[in-house]
Amino acid sequence: MEHFEYVLKILPPMLEGWKVTLTLFFLTLVMSLPLGTVMGIARLSHFKPLAWFMEFYVWLFRGTPLLLQLLFIYFGLMTVGIRLERFPAAVLAFVLNYAAYIAEIIRAGIQSIDKGQYEAADVLGLTRFQTMTNIILPQVFKRVIPPIGNEVINLVKDSALIYVLAISELLRVAKTAVMRDETFVPFIIAAVFYLFMTAIVQQFFKWVEHKFDYYR
Amino acid sequence: MYMIRALDIYKNFGHLKVLKGVSLTVEKGEVVAIIGPSGSGKSTFLRCLNRLETIDKGMIEVEGEIMVQNGPDGKAVYSDENRIALIRRKMGMVFQNFNLFPHKSVLENLILAPMLVNKVPREEAEKKALELLEKVGLKKKANNYPFELSGGQQQRVAIARALAMNPDIMCFDEPTSALDPELTGEVLKVMKDLALEHMTMIVVTHEIGFAREVANRVIFMDNGIIVEEGIAKEVIDNPKNERTREFLSKVLRI
Ligand SMILES: Nc1ncnc2c1ncn2[C@@H]1O[C@H](COP(=O)(O)OP(=O)(O)O)[C@@H](O)[C@H]1O
Ligand SMILES: [Mg+2]
Repeated sequence: MEHFEYVLKILPPMLEGWKVTLTLFFLTLVMSLPLGTVMGIARLSHFKPLAWFMEFYVWLFRGTPLLLQLLFIYFGLMTVGIRLERFPAAVLAFVLNYAAYIAEIIRAGIQSIDKGQYEAADVLGLTRFQTMTNIILPQVFKRVIPPIGNEVINLVKDSALIYVLAISELLRVAKTAVMRDETFVPFIIAAVFYLFMTAIVQQFFKWVEHKFDYYR
Repeated sequence: MYMIRALDIYKNFGHLKVLKGVSLTVEKGEVVAIIGPSGSGKSTFLRCLNRLETIDKGMIEVEGEIMVQNGPDGKAVYSDENRIALIRRKMGMVFQNFNLFPHKSVLENLILAPMLVNKVPREEAEKKALELLEKVGLKKKANNYPFELSGGQQQRVAIARALAMNPDIMCFDEPTSALDPELTGEVLKVMKDLALEHMTMIVVTHEIGFAREVANRVIFMDNGIIVEEGIAKEVIDNPKNERTREFLSKVLRI
């Protein structure tokens, strides 16, 4: 009974934290998916400087910890006079980081499409752009659903990293309560929240995969 | 009147000389079969004709339009892209591996290019597509997806898809080589019907029986050159060249 009351008491601030987590989650997805897709295509551009730049970009953002990127974008930019609010800085770091991962997935997806598809489109007279939008990308999207799903699950968990910017997301709220009230209950509640989110993500991706079952 | 004329085509892949001066003229309504051992450059030659590969030297002309010719330095110079696009539209291509678009239904495979490239209205494109599917005996499969079809059916769809663009010339690169033996007949039948309608055809094939019966002319390629050519029946029944003889005896023994 005592526990139950405690849960009721702690729930509102935790929900507040969860809202922050969810906001970061959705903002990151909405921006990094299209950005990463464009970057993945650019990575394969025949215009070499663009392809090289994208390769460098992906290396940079996959080759350093997201935590470092968060700190760098917030504090690093501050030292050169660019002051971002903490939350927008966090979103920016996440979008840039996740776009790099998405770009790699899209690039690999594009390269996994049989060369015969390009040739068939080519002899039928489709332009490169038409080939990309009508033939290649629709098939790529089907193939990248599982790896994108993995990244989205990672995103749920990575969202906790923004605590370093002292942003009160779900886990930070829980930790504060744990320290203050000397109980583990907030951690358990946080775990339930994360499991709930990842379960939803998993179900969603299962559903999307199923949607694409009509062809092989 | 010739449909396509290729003169003295040279093509290297790096240091590998794949085509070493191949010439071919195909008349309107003619069916030409290209035979020869694996690796002799048959596919490469066919692919050069519709610029899936670019040539290093030589001239290719389609219905009087020059696609590529030698420049002053003796190296091939291609015409501008718009012109090439128009020339290539006269040619249909059928691949060994069908290369149907797996995410599109059979009907969608057929109407895609007419609608996107030729700006044909959907209704008209569908009408034409259904006629073509009827012709290749697959009207019932219009709404199926490629993975639901057998290899032979897929290849017949691929032929119909190429025909949907109203080509003047149809190129086939070993259209039955990826098929189980019992499925080659249905594809060859469709091709034979096309030949009877006087479609101009260039067919790379190992089906010697088909070449003998359907082709007007046979080209025997070996090692990047045309070793022997002539009236199909004559070349196949009485090859003059030693290498042709050897090749045919090997193929026909199986
Ligand atoms: N894209 C390519 N790059 C390098 N070598 C190639 C390529 N395509 C074909 N070749 C080589 O060119 C030669 C002729 O190939 P191909 O035209 O496919 O012969 P065929 O169709 O008569 O079997 C072969 O030695 C093959 O390995
Ligand atoms: Mg070949």
